[in-house]
Order: sequence, then structure tokens, then C-alpha cells
Amino acid sequence: MSHFFLMVLYSLVVSLFFTLLWRRERKDQVRLFLQLFLGMVGGGLLVAWLMYPFPQGPPAPIP
Amino acid sequence: MAQPDDAVPPQTAAAPAVSAGAGVAGVPVGNPYLAMILAWLVPGLGHIYVRRTARGLVFLLLIVVCLWVGCELQGNLYRPLPGQPLTFLATGGAMGMGLPYFVLRYGADYSGDIVGAGYEYGTAFLLTAGLMNWLLVLDAWDISRGKKE
Repeated sequence: MSHFFLMVLYSLVVSLFFTLLWRRERKDQVRLFLQLFLGMVGGGLLVAWLMYPFPQGPPAPIP
Repeated sequence: MAQPDDAVPPQTAAAPAVSAGAGVAGVPVGNPYLAMILAWLVPGLGHIYVRRTARGLVFLLLIVVCLWVGCELQGNLYRPLPGQPLTFLATGGAMGMGLPYFVLRYGADYSGDIVGAGYEYGTAFLLTAGLMNWLLVLDAWDISRGKKE
């Protein structure tokens, strides 16, 4: 499983959870779900993009 | 602050308005303490107890997915470690998942694999499962007391 897939899966689960916990009306649920899901995935991608110029550093030692 | 709810006996759960459906707000359902215990023991069971069956099943599914992915990735199932106070906090969070925590820890002797490739991700999933269930416990409490639909 890739990092991106896991990030999307995590965002999906958490967004669904809070949507069902906090909203009852279908329209509100859709709106909140999209806000949470796109916020988490988009935020993750944004942070990744911001970190892109930084060097990776030496490889981690193999335990 | 607690007097309106304390005045309502638990047997109000049998009120006809409740049995009519889950869309009634402000109607106490069942025993709030039992709802909390059930919600903690088995994710989603508290909601099923307070007659939010569909929602409870979806919550159960979401938490099971979190647990399954966390275990597949060999994430850390937190336990208290001497000299590491934050592990006590994390253990409290992870124990929110209720019975699954004890089954994994004592029944399956699960502890995760710190050198596993998905260790950090798995830890996040396992901890999130516990924390989400703590919120479900509070939600079941609120619904049972009639504070929330």
C-alpha cells in the first residue's frame, strides 16, 4: 500500500466518521464530508509540495 | 445542570415516541450508563442500543476498517511503559476501542512491529480507532439522555 493510498484511506474513514457524528441532514453531510476529505487530502499534498525543495538527507540506517 | 435528565427515569426508553423512529430529538432513550458501557465495549453497540442501528453499524464498520488496516500495517498497540508518560496517554486513547484492545493485547498477543514498513501508519490507524470510539461513547451518552438526536 502506498503512502498516498493510506493517506486517502485515512482521510476517507475519518471524514465519514465525523460527518455521521456531527451532521444529520444529507446536504450538510455531503458538504462537511467534502470539506473534511478534500481538506485532509489537499492539505497533505500541499505540505508534501512545500517540502519538495528540501533535501531528503542521508538514508536511514537499516535496523 | 443535570436536573432535567436526572428527573427522567431510565424506563422512559419505552416511550412510544422513541419506538416511532430515530429522528426524535430530546427524547431520552434507555439507560445512559448502559449506553456508554456498550458503546465502549463494542464500537457502535451503544448507538444500536439507543436505536440508531444504521448509524451504529456504519460506525462499527469504520472502526473495524481502522483496526484491520492498523493491524495489517503492524502498527503499535500502545501500552504503558515506565518512564514514558506519553505512553499512558496514548494507551488511554487506544483503550477507547474497548474489547478489541484487550482481545488484541491479551488474546492475540498483538504488539505491532516497530521495524515494519507501515508501523507509523498502522499506529495512527489503531490510535484513531480508539479515539473515535471515545467520541462514540460520548455521543451514545448524549443521545441516551435526549441531548442529541
